[in-house]
Amino acid sequence: MNLMKLHATGGMMLLVALLLMAPAPVSATEKYSDPAAVNRHIEQLRMANPSLVKVHKLAVTPGGREMLMIEIGKSGTAVPAVLTGANFSGLTPLATEAALALASRIVSDASLNSGLTWYIIPVGNPDAYARYFTRPLWSDPANSRPFNDDTDDQTDEDGYNDLDGNGIITLMRVKAHDGTWIPVESEPRLMRKADAAKGEKGIYKLYTEGIDDDGDGQYNEDVPGGTNVNVNFPHLFKNFGRRSGLYPGSEPESEALLRFAFSHPEIAMVLAFGQTNYLLSPPKGGKKGAVDTENIRIPREIGSSLGIDVSRTYTLAEVIELVQPMLPQGMTADESMIASFLGLGAVVNPMPDDMTFYNEMSSDYKEYLKKKGITAERFDPAQPEDGSFELWAYYQLGLPVFTMDFWGLPKPKDEKKEAGDDELKSDTVKGDQKTDDAVKANPGKVDTVKADTKKGDPKEMAQLAFSDKWLNGRGFTPWKSYSHPTLGEVEIGGFTPFSDNTPPESMIDSLLDLQLPYISELVKKLPRLTIAELKATEKGGGVYQLEAWVANEGYLSFPIAMGKRNKVPAPAILTLEGDGIEILSGKKRTPVSDVGGMKSVKYIWLVRGPKKETMTLTLESKQAGKDIERINIGG
Amino acid sequence: MISALMALAVMLTRAQEVKVPLRFDFYYSYEKMAEAMKALNAAYPDFTKLDEVGRSEEGRIIWALTINNPKTGEPFTKPGVYVDGNIHGNEIQAGEVCLYLANRLLTNYGKITEITEVVDRNVFYIIPVVNVDGRAHFFADANTPSSNRGLRIPVDDDRDGLFDEDGPDDLDGDGNITNMRIRDTLGRLRSDPTDKRLMITVKPGEKGEWTRLGQEGIDNDGDGQVNEDGEGYVDGNRNWGMNWNPPYVQSGAGNYPFEGKGIKAIAEWMLARPNIILVFAFHNNGGMYLRGPTSKAAGELPQGDVAVYDYLGEHMEKIVPGYQYLISWKDLYSTYGDFTDFTDKMVGSYSLVGELYQPETETYDGTPKRGEEERSRSGDASAGERQRLLFDDNVNQGELFKEWKPYKHPLYGDIEIGGWTKMSSRLPHPFMLQDLVHRNASSVIFAAKQTPKITMDVFEVKKAGGDLWSVRVRLVNSGAIPSVTFETIKNKLYPIDKLTVAGRNANVVGGGVLTNAWMNLVSYKEYRPEVHMCQVPGLGKVEYQFLVSGKGDIEIKYESRKAGIISKIVELK
Repeated sequence: MNLMKLHATGGMMLLVALLLMAPAPVSATEKYSDPAAVNRHIEQLRMANPSLVKVHKLAVTPGGREMLMIEIGKSGTAVPAVLTGANFSGLTPLATEAALALASRIVSDASLNSGLTWYIIPVGNPDAYARYFTRPLWSDPANSRPFNDDTDDQTDEDGYNDLDGNGIITLMRVKAHDGTWIPVESEPRLMRKADAAKGEKGIYKLYTEGIDDDGDGQYNEDVPGGTNVNVNFPHLFKNFGRRSGLYPGSEPESEALLRFAFSHPEIAMVLAFGQTNYLLSPPKGGKKGAVDTENIRIPREIGSSLGIDVSRTYTLAEVIELVQPMLPQGMTADESMIASFLGLGAVVNPMPDDMTFYNEMSSDYKEYLKKKGITAERFDPAQPEDGSFELWAYYQLGLPVFTMDFWGLPKPKDEKKEAGDDELKSDTVKGDQKTDDAVKANPGKVDTVKADTKKGDPKEMAQLAFSDKWLNGRGFTPWKSYSHPTLGEVEIGGFTPFSDNTPPESMIDSLLDLQLPYISELVKKLPRLTIAELKATEKGGGVYQLEAWVANEGYLSFPIAMGKRNKVPAPAILTLEGDGIEILSGKKRTPVSDVGGMKSVKYIWLVRGPKKETMTLTLESKQAGKDIERINIGG
Repeated sequence: MISALMALAVMLTRAQEVKVPLRFDFYYSYEKMAEAMKALNAAYPDFTKLDEVGRSEEGRIIWALTINNPKTGEPFTKPGVYVDGNIHGNEIQAGEVCLYLANRLLTNYGKITEITEVVDRNVFYIIPVVNVDGRAHFFADANTPSSNRGLRIPVDDDRDGLFDEDGPDDLDGDGNITNMRIRDTLGRLRSDPTDKRLMITVKPGEKGEWTRLGQEGIDNDGDGQVNEDGEGYVDGNRNWGMNWNPPYVQSGAGNYPFEGKGIKAIAEWMLARPNIILVFAFHNNGGMYLRGPTSKAAGELPQGDVAVYDYLGEHMEKIVPGYQYLISWKDLYSTYGDFTDFTDKMVGSYSLVGELYQPETETYDGTPKRGEEERSRSGDASAGERQRLLFDDNVNQGELFKEWKPYKHPLYGDIEIGGWTKMSSRLPHPFMLQDLVHRNASSVIFAAKQTPKITMDVFEVKKAGGDLWSVRVRLVNSGAIPSVTFETIKNKLYPIDKLTVAGRNANVVGGGVLTNAWMNLVSYKEYRPEVHMCQVPGLGKVEYQFLVSGKGDIEIKYESRKAGIISKIVELK
């Protein structure tokens, strides 16, 4: 718990890459590659490196686009693999560029491509991503599956309309008796909710830009498109959500990932490039709905049949202790068994043991950025959406998952006062310099800023500041009056979609050059299993005790705690062989299913064999490597 | 002797014969089942269509028989009644129920009025065998009554890196996996004095006689464990995409929803048939009709739907004496990724599971055994089990129980093998099959009679001054099943039924639900008054009033995914 709290604060003060480069307009269509261009880049990469690169067509989207995967490596499925998926929302152009740049780096870096196989999907949602390159510009993570959002008698019939003809879908504000919005006093371009408790009355109603195409009294309520691939994965899937899709994996894009991951047990780590950044904001717990494994209530009928006091609660470890003596011989109670026996349901919060590595690696990454001289402060990255690729990979593949977003809005100076934080002094962003009394008076509490009605939403303030400073104002269309066919006099204006998460193209290279090298550090943390020692002791009568130490030379445990819980990562197998050998105790094939990071575990066999026999012990794990040791007994 | 053998040979050939009308005094293998469906299709080419829905993990075809009378309309214009069985490979009589239903409907069309009507008004989609690999292996291989339940997706149960490498073995070669026991004076069991074939726990001070060694088998992979990694296990009925949970939460779930090839194919096939409003899925154990939800977490169904289920369930439990109408999660246990959760919530149907076999019907002296006795978990022989042996001895001539016989086991040495055969315990003896399949098919036919049956009545066309007309329309449902489930409305699953008014020289200026015809209370719709999305409740009505300005003909049209299309032309005069 304490660790998590630390985290939240740590993440908030996070310093990040903000760019020492010249401002550039956001006419970002040239450097960011559209889905077709991405596929051309992929093909070029393959042609240039035929011995190292393979390309797989994972899926064809409802919009008829090919979703490609780059495979890089010399050893295919024989070595551990890293699965990298980018831009599953289709709303993160920078993530796609990062995936392409990563692929190029791997191809030219033998330390990355020799011992690992890389599976890289640069665009996880090609249909939605293609929209970024069309005009008018609007933001929607839906793929091209037709979907009847308003369940009326027509499908995709009421989308946005670019009424002011500026190629950008923004907002409309209309004066109305039942309006709930008023302009922000200090920044009248922004809007905020009127606070009736303070005697304020709303003036405006806000709509997205468009007309009521189908005459049902609603505006833009059934825009083209169906499912957000990034919420279509099976962990915390939201049934009947507007962009959820019918069921987890209902889309060709997500289904392809489900099938691919489960037929590639060599995948040992997952990277997700998109909206979240676990290196800056490690996964958060505190989700409700799950059973608290520290306070488990034993159902009455189970309790009474096992003779357990049901009036108190137990920790999972205590239940294991209670149940173990009741199990048949040879059966071991573990978390997974108890949790499923008690019907504890799916895990929804990160396992406490895994938070240790998330927090440590986050500190390490921040240290890395500091060394690179990056000290600008940015807004905290978002936490993953329910049903997202990264949540699924952690909770259902049981693998270490790291996510990166590569850029976030810089905090304007007056937003980033954190009590006692002296790391902020070398701020490189000279955004909105306006200070605010409330912030000064209460520097540690951003919430206070939000609650202060004089001020707009802090993130919108930052977005506006960034637009003014770096985009020549192109991130925001000033309100301008317009005569609307059904709403009458309206004003059209507001933020340009993507201007909060997509930096100008001129920043792409420096952002990626700065952050992508850290991926080499991430993959160094993978578990690596070896046989550290194999020793035989003669017990007399041709009987020998064999002792093997299996060591994990990697930082990450094998598997991580979530993998232990869901039992999806396959155990490593120790195979003991030797001619004429009889195993008296222990197994010929022994699963190795839990070796902590930088730790060793001992395995013992009792064998009987003829004199001078060579025994071979093989260790095999798809995810954590192979090793072999031989020993002569009686020699 | 020879003539006796020849007679037997003739009998066996006859048993294998597939001819319409089909016989139900034996169990159809997977191949024979396919043959039977082809035979029905050949005998009724106009009324039936045989589809390959998809293929299983081992490449077997999943067949579906569609029964539709083309003279009463295309399939999508009628309520769809979907019936399947045998999603668990061992639950084979579920396939016979489906096949019997098809046979019953087709061979009695035009002969029995009620059947003629139910066929004319509905379309039936029948998939007798969902788990085709399971059924094929259940017949072909040695099994227990409960094995070969899952899909043929290998799972490494003992996590030793090998998949499905140590299942049970038919040591005595009799086609059954029964049990092994060894003489052991220190064992915890002794022979039951009332019936030596049964064993009971020794009491303190008594001498032991036996130790159980589990199911027939050897240690195939030499790891010191016997039968620890058998086929699968992915459960076809935990792999659907509604409320699915991963295997560490729901055993048998599969790695992700619709991992099973056949399961996925059936889901797509059903989703392509939006008219399905009623679903039956047959399983084999317990004597129950179950409704959803299948887990507590899913939340109770809307009360409007519960009322429909109660109506159906309370009738159906009378049609099959001894069956109980129950709620899946509450009266049994919670399951995730269940088929009927999928059909309730994603197909938008009313779904019932039939658990066919009733152990208490296996009686010798006519006293039904008490269910609780049969389900005794103490491990000791219960009164129910003694009764079952008497039943087998006296009614089946001992066909279903294998006497304990000595066997030389490679690991254990001298042991005994014996117990209930694969065709026992969850399957009625074929002599009881006819009754079972008929009663359950009757339950389906009863429910199919309740599918929405909508009529439209334009009960008032009145001049309201000038060229303005008041038009009142009533939609009446004489079936107990609404035209749209309440769950569908709650979830906004699809655009529900549509009522429209249109005319070349007419303009709908107002339209809305007529909440009280006498008081003339109408809740007019603000926008698009000519279009109304609606549901017609079971055994109920819904009334609309339209204000139409103009003249000439107007068309009033009702369109429903599940309840067909009705159109009426009315002249404004």
